[in-house]
Amino acid sequence: MLVGHYLAKQGIRFIVQTEADRKIVGVLALLQQFFIAAFILLAPLHAFAQGDIIGQQQQAIEKVDEAIDALADVVASEAVDDAALVDARLELEKLSRDLLESGVKFRPRLSEINDRLDQLGPARGEGEPPEPEVVVQERQRLLDEKATINAMIGEAETLSVRIGRLVDDVAQKRRELFTNALSRRFDISAAFGPEVAEEFSSDIKRLYGTVSSWLNYVTQVKLRAALLAAGASLLCALALLIGGRRYFGDFITPDIDVEEPSYLARLTVALSSTLLPSAALALFLSLTYFLFHAFGVLPDEIAQLLRALFIVIATVFFVYRLTSAALAPRMPSWRLLPIECGASSRLCWLVAAMAGVTAFDYFMGRVYSVIGSQLSLTVATSLGATVAVGVLLILIGMVRPFPPKEEGEKPRPWPVSFRLLIFLVGIATILAALFGYIGFARFLSQQVVVTGAILATMYIGFLTSGAIGGEGAFARSRTGRLMAERLGLDEGVMDQLGLVAALGINILVVLIGAPMILLQWGFHLADLTTWTYGIANEIRIGSISFSIIGILTGIVVLVLGYFITRWFQAWLDGSVMARSRMDTGVRNSIRTAIGYVGVAIAALIGISAAGIDLSNLALVAGALSLGIGFGLQNIVSNFVSGLILLVERPFKAGDWIVAGAVSGTVKKISVRATEIETFQRQTVILPNSELINAAVGNWTHKNSLGRLEIPVGVAYGSDVRRVHGILMDIARSHPLVLKNPEPFVHFANFGDSSLDFEVRVYLADILRQLEVQNDIRFAIVEAFDKEGIEIPFPQRDLHLRSGFAAASDLQAKSPEQQVPDEKGEG
Amino acid sequence: MIVPSIEAVATPKCLMKKIVLALVGVSLAVPAAYAASVVNRDEETHTLTVTEGGDQTRITVAKDETIQFCQSGCFVTMPNGDREVLTGSETIEIEQGRGRIR
Repeated sequence: MLVGHYLAKQGIRFIVQTEADRKIVGVLALLQQFFIAAFILLAPLHAFAQGDIIGQQQQAIEKVDEAIDALADVVASEAVDDAALVDARLELEKLSRDLLESGVKFRPRLSEINDRLDQLGPARGEGEPPEPEVVVQERQRLLDEKATINAMIGEAETLSVRIGRLVDDVAQKRRELFTNALSRRFDISAAFGPEVAEEFSSDIKRLYGTVSSWLNYVTQVKLRAALLAAGASLLCALALLIGGRRYFGDFITPDIDVEEPSYLARLTVALSSTLLPSAALALFLSLTYFLFHAFGVLPDEIAQLLRALFIVIATVFFVYRLTSAALAPRMPSWRLLPIECGASSRLCWLVAAMAGVTAFDYFMGRVYSVIGSQLSLTVATSLGATVAVGVLLILIGMVRPFPPKEEGEKPRPWPVSFRLLIFLVGIATILAALFGYIGFARFLSQQVVVTGAILATMYIGFLTSGAIGGEGAFARSRTGRLMAERLGLDEGVMDQLGLVAALGINILVVLIGAPMILLQWGFHLADLTTWTYGIANEIRIGSISFSIIGILTGIVVLVLGYFITRWFQAWLDGSVMARSRMDTGVRNSIRTAIGYVGVAIAALIGISAAGIDLSNLALVAGALSLGIGFGLQNIVSNFVSGLILLVERPFKAGDWIVAGAVSGTVKKISVRATEIETFQRQTVILPNSELINAAVGNWTHKNSLGRLEIPVGVAYGSDVRRVHGILMDIARSHPLVLKNPEPFVHFANFGDSSLDFEVRVYLADILRQLEVQNDIRFAIVEAFDKEGIEIPFPQRDLHLRSGFAAASDLQAKSPEQQVPDEKGEG
Repeated sequence: MIVPSIEAVATPKCLMKKIVLALVGVSLAVPAAYAASVVNRDEETHTLTVTEGGDQTRITVAKDETIQFCQSGCFVTMPNGDREVLTGSETIEIEQGRGRIR
């Protein structure tokens, strides 16, 4: 509105001023109208949005209420099973989050109301002048709205309490279900009744009827879909088979030609020949199931049966592969355990039989539940199966697998603890079954087969990782040799890689194996994901909490930032700065500075990505700064000096500097110190602060121009003008000597034994001074020789003051003393 | 012996390793602020009702005391009866019985 008024006023002035501005005025008037219209339109919209929040959230909360009611019914019902309870709990957790979300949405409106109430102030009491009616009304309206919101949040709170109780109920119920399943006692006498056999045959007929009617239906109605699904799954099988053989064939099949494969090779082959084919089969089966399901060929009953059949097939296959890989009945050299041939094939058979019996029991249980058989039939089958598993277990325990210590003795049995465990489990299974605890017996026998197989696989995995981590083992393995060849890695690196691989395998084994065992024990995927989510998002130790995911994200961001910085550095240096023909020193400085800035930024982003409050960091930094002030004074001063060196650039990489006693070429300016290489090729690491605090001579600061002095003396009596001329000629004629500034010959001194000259020449590149010095000196000697000018030795004239007496007196006192004098004379 | 170790400091690989190590150290050392906190600026002690995960608790905040609570979202009833929903990262200041979310 204000803007509109202002514009209108301006508009009027325009009219007064000039007629030609009529158009502008028109536009302004239009604008004014637009503002007014917008205000009128938007004001109620705003109010509508406010009212809407309450309405919307009311609906949301009501929806949650209804959902909770439905879930409470599910949880309370008698027929609920474990999976439904897990789903219910997940749903409840989601509802709880929804409630919080709805509550949070009130916050802006609440703070608005509170602010407005503050502005209005408290209601006036008795005796004070009455408030205007508008204020009273507005306050009342706001208070009403606030009360409504408070009531709704209260409602949500009550609901969340109810959700909490329901979650507890779910947990309680699941515990009960589990114990019931295990502790329920069946009447096994029914299993021996004469009617069981009849029931069995009639049920088998019903099963046959169900399956054949399905097949009929498929062939008559859904033939194309079924054929398509079958064709597609066959294609999958073919692809898996051929692809698997082609790419992993070497890993799976043991090489028969190898006489004595290494322990690592045996382990790897055992592990991969168990896991890869099993994974392929599982993939194929699930794909097939999915395809048939997707083509709508599977009615519900058949789908259940097929699923059970596939699970059974996959499990039995896995157990079979595992035993034959570990025991290798036909290839003694590839056997993991030092077991006798006969025992190993016997063990293979026993384990396979156990897996088969358990699988049969599981599958039949499914069949009975699908076609709705009598309980006695289930009890009879399970009784037979579990007793059989128990007997098989005891048989396994009685096998004497290890070769005898001495010839002629009997083979040795399993270690006592293992035998005891197996006997105990076997007897417990049989007893539980015979006493009617069929549920428990089934649980035990399934655990023995499946958990046993998973544990055995995990154990082989751990053994493999231990073998890979052994010294030099990875370098000797086939993969290791390949890698070393391709990438040109040395032994130390390979050893470290082996350790990393071992660690990786361990983590992988735990990550895959532990959830599988937990799933086997009746936990659900949802449980596991909830736990993982909880662990990954928040770990609390006392009042400190941190999130693994956050920290990992931070580290990943930091590493990414680091690589981006490096890449940017390389790009800037290689493409931009190299093309602009920048000085190498400047390039180096810019690159280093960018490196520091990039890493610092990456660290900051990483820290905030890790969810760490930077203000906390500031607190820590503040507390540490005192310590840093004292303890790290030198380091910090060197670091800051390093930054100053980069910015101020008194020297750069490649410069020839003289700092104190050190003279040499600057190789690298780092954070703490500068690397200088002397001309003897010694690397001197000079702390940066010394380079900042003390005088540093730089021969090549702005340019590499430098002066060179060559002193030379000529004998007294030489023609000095001639000497001057010769020296001047020599200096001028050298190609590396600059014409400007001109070379100069300095008649320096009347020396003790010579007339001293100094040839001073300027070189464009001071780094070539040695070469020039040599040339000039050679030239001087040659020229002086030619001209007959003498370069004298130091000379001393000795004058003897008196006659013989004094001389002989001297000689008597110290005959040696005269020797140097005589020499000096010569 | 000294020269190689100093050179090692300067190589980028080592520098990166150090940075990563330092960051891990820092991130473990610095407590990440995930819980909500409440501070009482009034003279008298206040009591808040907190409902978190279906459990209702009352927390008492003395004068100038700061208390951490509510890790993953909760309902709070302020001393003056106002209700608020927290997501677990807020800071509440109680002034004259009123809770303000900062």
